[in-house]
Amino acid sequence: MNRFENFKNGLIKENPVFSLFLGICSTLAITTSVDNAIGMGLAVICVLVLSNCIISLIRNITPDEIHIPVYIVVIATLVKIIQMVIEAYAPSLNTSLGVFIPLIVVNCIILGRAEAFACDHNVLDSALDGIGMGLGYFIAVFVMSFIREVLSTGGFQITNMFNPDQIFLKLTIIPEDFTISMFSSPVGAFLTFAVLAAFVSWYKDRQAKKEEAAAKEGK
Amino acid sequence: MSKIMHLSLFLAVISALAGGALSFANQVTAPVIAENNARLERDSLMTMYPDAAEDDFKEIKFNMDSKTVQKVYEYEDKLIFNMKVPGYKDGTTFLVSINTNDKTVDQYYPLSNGDTKGLGSKVMESDFINNVNGKASDDSIDTISGATISSSGVVNGINEASTYVDQLKGE
Repeated sequence: MNRFENFKNGLIKENPVFSLFLGICSTLAITTSVDNAIGMGLAVICVLVLSNCIISLIRNITPDEIHIPVYIVVIATLVKIIQMVIEAYAPSLNTSLGVFIPLIVVNCIILGRAEAFACDHNVLDSALDGIGMGLGYFIAVFVMSFIREVLSTGGFQITNMFNPDQIFLKLTIIPEDFTISMFSSPVGAFLTFAVLAAFVSWYKDRQAKKEEAAAKEGK
Repeated sequence: MSKIMHLSLFLAVISALAGGALSFANQVTAPVIAENNARLERDSLMTMYPDAAEDDFKEIKFNMDSKTVQKVYEYEDKLIFNMKVPGYKDGTTFLVSINTNDKTVDQYYPLSNGDTKGLGSKVMESDFINNVNGKASDDSIDTISGATISSSGVVNGINEASTYVDQLKGE
């Protein structure tokens, strides 16, 4: 149960993007299309799970004084490997994400989870934490990019990132005359982000009040 | 003293392992990436000249000392240069075909630009492309105001390419 709680935490209550406000830079920049968000989300999940596992594996032999440089070397290596894999097998994703793939290195979510969780938990828990937090990031960028792409282009499409000619799903929701192109610009990113963050915070508030009320009744 | 040795040794081992992992990953992916780029270049050549067959582009050996010329192809009476020129940040890679007879630019075809989005990246847009196509490479091609560094990089690259035309033509 505790394990499951750990895993679930990352999704809403401690969602890295909307609750902890970590990794906002990439979130704002890459959410122009659902395709980008899926690719970026998957890359972050991979890096986060692997870095959590490795850091948890070496947690007992890492000297305290140099743990940050060690973590950074581990994370940077993983990101570079992921970048090479993306460049080789999903070149179109590489072009559209561009500099934001190498910038995963400085994504605070990854170093943050290494510092806060993986360095004093076992490998399995750390991996679960990585998946949970990674999914939290994935959901955050997915929802944001969905809203932005639908509002700015009227619809969205999901393509196979390994073969850009293959389109899985293409939907038009809003007729072309009613699209708001502003949402594909940075302003749209901030607006979407603010509204979603407010929503998550309202939801958390309500949950907390409910729990409080339940606790009072229990007395 | 032994403490500091221990720390530096640990960091060295970690870095060595990381380096090993990286070189392994590079070994696996480098050929695939090279092939992707070659295919992208071939596709671009085909887009420039849709009537040509893939074998019509003959690669010419280029021995001259130039940092910007990557590859040269010959197609009918044109030479096609694959250029990589510096810009504001990462610069521009493009293909440019030059008529060997009158040294006019037949087609300019940008492949990628790593400069500021919205400014330097204008060298990828049709306004600039149309401005370059058909011009003689030795008269001044207009640069883009606001993207002077990126666009003059491209223009200088084209001018440089045209200086090689005479030497390569006979071969």
